[in-house]
Amino acid sequence: MAFLELEHLHKHYATQTVVQDFNLNVEQGEFISFLGPSGCGKTTVLRMIAGFETPSAGQIRIDGHDVVRLKPNQRNIGMVFQSYALFPNLTVAQNIGFGLSVARQPKTQIKQTVQEMLALIKLADLGERYPFQLSGGQQQRVALARALAIQPKVLLLDEPLSALDAKIRVALREDIRAIQRSLGITTIFVTHDQEEALSISDRIVVMNQGHIEQVDTPLAIYNQPSTRFVASFVGALNILNATVSAPEQGMLQIENQTLQLQQPLPHPMGTTIQLALRPEALSLTPKENTDQTLVGQVQQVQFLGSVLRVQLKAGAQNLVLDQFNQPQLIPIQVGQTLKVYFASNQVLLLGAG
Amino acid sequence: MNTMTSRIWSWLVLLVAIIYFGLPLLGTFEFSLRMLRGTYSFEAYRVVLADPQFQATFGYSLLMACATIVMGVVLVVPTAYWVRLKLPHWRPIIEFITLLPLVIPAIVIVFGYIRLYNTSSWLPLTGTAWSTDLLMVCGYTTLALPYLYRAVDTGLRSLDIATLTEAAESLGASKFTLIWRIILPNVSVAILSGAFLTFAIVIGEFVLAALLNRPAFGPYMQLMGANRAYEPAALAVIAFALTWLCMGLIQLVNRRQRHLAVPQHR
Ligand SMILES: Nc1ncnc2c1ncn2[C@@H]1O[C@H](COP(=O)(O)OP(=O)(O)OP(=O)(O)O)[C@@H](O)[C@H]1O
Ligand SMILES: [Mg+2]
Repeated sequence: MAFLELEHLHKHYATQTVVQDFNLNVEQGEFISFLGPSGCGKTTVLRMIAGFETPSAGQIRIDGHDVVRLKPNQRNIGMVFQSYALFPNLTVAQNIGFGLSVARQPKTQIKQTVQEMLALIKLADLGERYPFQLSGGQQQRVALARALAIQPKVLLLDEPLSALDAKIRVALREDIRAIQRSLGITTIFVTHDQEEALSISDRIVVMNQGHIEQVDTPLAIYNQPSTRFVASFVGALNILNATVSAPEQGMLQIENQTLQLQQPLPHPMGTTIQLALRPEALSLTPKENTDQTLVGQVQQVQFLGSVLRVQLKAGAQNLVLDQFNQPQLIPIQVGQTLKVYFASNQVLLLGAG
Repeated sequence: MNTMTSRIWSWLVLLVAIIYFGLPLLGTFEFSLRMLRGTYSFEAYRVVLADPQFQATFGYSLLMACATIVMGVVLVVPTAYWVRLKLPHWRPIIEFITLLPLVIPAIVIVFGYIRLYNTSSWLPLTGTAWSTDLLMVCGYTTLALPYLYRAVDTGLRSLDIATLTEAAESLGASKFTLIWRIILPNVSVAILSGAFLTFAIVIGEFVLAALLNRPAFGPYMQLMGANRAYEPAALAVIAFALTWLCMGLIQLVNRRQRHLAVPQHR
């Protein structure tokens, strides 16, 4: 039995179905990310767990107890918001201690917990400040400490980093993950930033239009996307139209160039199917297992710091590849014809399109 | 050149305003100092302040003002909070209702009260002194509603009510705890400025107190004005000074608010 169980959750507003048949089991201490485009229902699911929305149907169990009928203030769930939502009239220490003082814990106990929490978020000296005297990143740390101080069963974070600068965002997400690990708290983290989800999650729930597309580890989500949506939503992707020429041998034609995959294809000869290739799976030089090639003409070269992004055109189809920037690299000219190498097992089959 | 002319104009307007508003006041003040023949003195003020009637009525009105403020806050803060949180589309209607006391004269309220709560009615509130006081506080609260509601509603605007509510609830707080410990302190400045306005209204109020026959400051001033010469002038100056003090205090708390302004996120 999982620690947090969501079973057949549905949510409708008037005519609109926002969440449909959402099933998820989260283990104790797990860090789960909800990833998906805007409006796909991430926040709605989170708010149903917290108790701010009532599911139209379905069950939510925490530690074996059905919580659907409990009010938000009876669920013992920590919540962190995109807008921090610190109480402006309370100091940092009072903010962190708010949940404890509501629960009528003794003053000395509150003081001690607050000190521990301040140390945990590395703001030990700022307990007496007011929220408006803190930077955004600091405010969000305080919000995190405030949510954790009540020792919640589950921690819910709704895009907690979206309002912060890129640099702080990266630092804080690592801190959140480290704190979560050290406390072993079951956590759901909502984001629409795939890099964020990939970098800190135990598992990712990829959502689309109110349903789950795939639940898996970041590596599996990236390398073995199970649906076309996941493949195209997570990471950059080259999608190529290919015609099956010999299904048993795994032979394909792309713009009069032949590919041979190391697996038979489940489509009859002559069907057009879609293939996907990650930009980083493509290389301009042959490597050990790069058994396939495609030829294309360079359209554009972008210098992105550690990476050169080259856009090619093979016939009518676009191909983007990433090349590590090395000093000995031969400069690439626009208009030049190049051979692109890749391994057949790196090709993702998206099916007939 | 252009700025020159506009400057001259604004000074001119200010001067006219000072003459228009200030001159009568100055005249009243000057008159209030002439109680003793031949010299200027504060004799009229001494007489007024020493009058036990003055002390009693002023104290009574002060008490009424405080009760009105408490009642207004208890009524308005949760209402304004709730409307903003759950019934945002009701806001124009609620605002309209709170503005009604500015349109409907107080005398209508009193006659309504007297008709509804007279001694032969089902709820004879006008029967005893304390219940009449209660009725009067209700009336004063109605009169103060436009100012108090606006002040509190404006104060709430700078808060992200919905998210703060959810944050507090997820921490185990009830709605009451939230309003008492988070919402109220955050609109305290708004409440304070609303309270000073309420105070100014209640202290000078005449119609309700006179018709409900309660010993308030308003009827006392009227009585003095009808029967004496110099004391009413002194009273008018005192009333003015009090009102201005309230206005000054409102300015002061508002400035402090700006100084302490909480830059809300988003
Ligand atoms: N109270 C509501 N009434 C009607 N529709 C709603 C309500 N709340 C949310 N929705 C709809 O539900 C859908 C999902 O909203 P939700 O906020 O869960 O999306 P999200 O995945 O969190 O998006 P974002 O990344 O933009 O935050 C949206 O289409 C939204 O319009
Ligand atoms: Mg959202």
